[in-house]
Amino acid sequence: MTTAVPTAPAPAAPPAGRLRRHRPVLLLLAPGALALLLTYALPLVWVVRMALNRPLDGGAILQTVTLSTFTDVLASSHYWNVIGQTLQLGVLTTVFTLLLSYPVALFLARTTSRWRSLLFALAVAPLLISSVARTFGWMAILGNQGVVNKTLLAIGVIDDPLRLANNMTGVVIASTEIYMPFAILAMLAGFGRLDPELERAAASLGAGRFAVLRRVVLPLTAPGVLTASLLVFVLSLSGYVTPRLIGGGRVFVLATEIYDEAMNSLNWPVAAVLSVLLLLLFGLVVAVHLWAQRVLEARFTGRGRSTS
Amino acid sequence: MRSGPVARIGWAVLLTVLYLFLLAPVIIVFIESFDTSTYLRFPPQGFSLEPYRQVFANPDFQAGLKVSAVTAATTTLLALLCGVPAALALTRLRFRGRGAVEAAFLSPLLVPNIVLGLALLILFAPIPLTDTYWGLILAHLGVTIPYVVRTVTAALAGADPRAEEAAATLGAGPFTVFRRVTLPAIRPGLFSGGIIAFLLSFDETVISLFVSGHTVRPLPVAVLQYVEYRSDPSIAALSVCLVLLSVVAVVLVERGLGLRRSLRP
Amino acid sequence: MADQPAAPARAGYLRLAGLTKVFPGEGGPQGAAVAGIDLEVAHGELLAVLGPSGCGKSTTLRMIAGLIEPSAGTVEVGGRDITRLPVHRRDMGVVFQSYALFPHLDVFRNVAFGLEMRKTAKSEVRTRVARALDLVRLGHLGDRRVSQLSGGQQQRVALARALVIEPAVLLLDEPLSNLDAQLRGAMRDEIRRIHDETGITTVFVTHDQREALSMADRVAVMNAGRVEQLGTPEEVYERPSGRFTAEFVGRANLLPGTVTATHGAGGGAGAEVAIPGLGTVRATGDAVTPEGRATVMLRPHRITLRAAGKADAGPRGTVLSAGYSGEVIGYRVRAAHDGPELEVEHPAGAGTAFGPGAEVLIGWDDAAPRLVADDGDPA
Repeated sequence: MTTAVPTAPAPAAPPAGRLRRHRPVLLLLAPGALALLLTYALPLVWVVRMALNRPLDGGAILQTVTLSTFTDVLASSHYWNVIGQTLQLGVLTTVFTLLLSYPVALFLARTTSRWRSLLFALAVAPLLISSVARTFGWMAILGNQGVVNKTLLAIGVIDDPLRLANNMTGVVIASTEIYMPFAILAMLAGFGRLDPELERAAASLGAGRFAVLRRVVLPLTAPGVLTASLLVFVLSLSGYVTPRLIGGGRVFVLATEIYDEAMNSLNWPVAAVLSVLLLLLFGLVVAVHLWAQRVLEARFTGRGRSTS
Repeated sequence: MRSGPVARIGWAVLLTVLYLFLLAPVIIVFIESFDTSTYLRFPPQGFSLEPYRQVFANPDFQAGLKVSAVTAATTTLLALLCGVPAALALTRLRFRGRGAVEAAFLSPLLVPNIVLGLALLILFAPIPLTDTYWGLILAHLGVTIPYVVRTVTAALAGADPRAEEAAATLGAGPFTVFRRVTLPAIRPGLFSGGIIAFLLSFDETVISLFVSGHTVRPLPVAVLQYVEYRSDPSIAALSVCLVLLSVVAVVLVERGLGLRRSLRP
Repeated sequence: MADQPAAPARAGYLRLAGLTKVFPGEGGPQGAAVAGIDLEVAHGELLAVLGPSGCGKSTTLRMIAGLIEPSAGTVEVGGRDITRLPVHRRDMGVVFQSYALFPHLDVFRNVAFGLEMRKTAKSEVRTRVARALDLVRLGHLGDRRVSQLSGGQQQRVALARALVIEPAVLLLDEPLSNLDAQLRGAMRDEIRRIHDETGITTVFVTHDQREALSMADRVAVMNAGRVEQLGTPEEVYERPSGRFTAEFVGRANLLPGTVTATHGAGGGAGAEVAIPGLGTVRATGDAVTPEGRATVMLRPHRITLRAAGKADAGPRGTVLSAGYSGEVIGYRVRAAHDGPELEVEHPAGAGTAFGPGAEVLIGWDDAAPRLVADDGDPA
């Protein structure tokens, strides 16, 4: 295509050779690309554009280009409080989810039980169950008339119901359970290098059970845990159904605030500004994650070099 | 870790508690779904199938079920039509910027649904596409295509591209190769991707809240709005139905590409 | 060797001219995977393309098949330029290294695939598939699933599938590399037999010199994207053109020396070469540098060792190591005290065996030494 070959009666090499060669690629990608452009890329541009408008009374919008809606939002202590609660929910949920998921993931990664597939399915199947249904289940567990309070009252441990719903406590408990399957999956995917032989090798070299855990298992599972933490943090920062239903209108996070501004106050510019802030927060979290991943990797390879 | 009997039992107890925690809402919902009382309380006051009858008699839920089923079926079909060719290009063709294109196709997974919902509302409202089937389907398409691309890509990676080349050398044109060789090989992946897309769309709540209205209101939105004001055993019964739907899906996915490969994060 | 060179009228049935492939992202002076190959294969010939992995032999095969688009050059079959013809219109039978059978079809349907693509009538499909399966001796397995077959059987199905369409050219990509050693020998004879029965022009790619030498009418030795030498198995083995071929096709001692005399010309050319530690060696060939230097090739199995007595004349050496491998004993021998190190092979059980440190007399049969051009590219 680039050099003419003297011996060949070259069948008129098409000048649009590049296009001809890439036509199958373009044809195959076109439907998906078009759909994503329409349902994902374009809307995101629109939301950023909306954030630059000014809200007027009664849901009207002043078409303009200004950062004043941003500055208004950032000047309001209410929204800072919302951001604070969002971060609080994200951090608490992530910590508890990681703590509760790690043993399950570790178990699933190492077990040779013949029930392995079933146990795996039980652990991650909730992922495919409607979050509304699962959140409703938590309402039934955590409410004043719920399982926990009724049981504790009945056996006389408490005299008054514990406040487990309509507050941050309940939202964190329910969110933890909701995001556990995600964490378990992410951890399992990152546990690839974990091999029971390694633990046996370490034990044969004289490492006690705790040393094996600290020196072999933890470092090898760190990448999976890191991925899981990113996933859970990001999901819990933006979760809507659980804070709304379990929070009972008393827990204000960015997601519920975006919905209320957009659908109840009809204040689209402010909703858009909050969305952009949430996206920025996401970007920040991902950046920190990538940095942590690099540090972790450097540490692994660095150690490898010093010992070899 | 080999360990003594005490540690072994402790480990088993810990795992049992964690599994119970993980499955608690499903178990409780199941128990409450047969209650006879008019509001949710524990322990159940009696046993009846009345809650199930109520759910199926509720006109809001009936309408919601229809909307969700139609939306999910159409979305799945379109997501497959968009996602399968893209997965083919990403796995079988060499072109510059392939990594970037793949990242772009999976990137909607990184955007929170609450933001996507608002964004779609802002885009769709003036057209107007809100409160219409097409608006709902388009909105769901963005979040289902990445899953289809991912499962079908995984399936294609497991199928031998040499078999496709062999078919070509035997005289099969590109489309025949796909129909006669590629398609049979990736059928499990296609199936799993389709099931997941269907379920994702059927259960989608947050984005639907923004783009649906009173005429076209999918089931999860109807349930959410109902639960905000009252919670009774009929919702538990409905939740059990949703759980059963998911169980069926899990079994089908496991039979297809396998749960682990399909849900890989 | 099997066939006589094909009649001139049938020469050049498959013709590669300047065939080149540069993969995107590679490039540079050494970057071409295939760097301008010119090759002609006669009608009915069985040609082996032999080379180490990464030498471009599979890329060449895939360009002939139409699976890779050449960067430059042409492919002609029977005088027709097919360079731009898409794969499915080329009429090439290809047997892949992994066999690439269709896992969802049974043996019969696998073999019938190419005929169905050609819209062959049902009854004819049945007879032709049956004939192809008989040819590869699988006539009784038509309804098996391919996953139920052994590696050797899968190989035969792949062969039948490629043959049933009666292709213009049959291409085999490392056809034996996935079989175990015993089966490989049997399949080698089998492929040769099938080729002789069908008379299909065949190109097969391999990295195994024994495969190439024992099966092919001619061998093209490839290295770094180029054809190093093209010739009959005997030519390639006995009269390698350069260092690479000498070392890659069989094992060789390559001994540099100074030319003291030359005689003859053309096929009868020869020279006497002084090699430190071995004395003057009489070798055939004409690869002599203008400065009067030359490299002599001595195959290990053509060197003989004898126990050295005090009074014996001739080049002497010391055994450095001896390795027993069943059929042969491989020795490493240092010629003189500071001469070159030689590889020597003796049939095991014949004559005396030597241990390390033994003093030996080194001999070789007179026809063995051969001058080889030193292209400075050790394998």
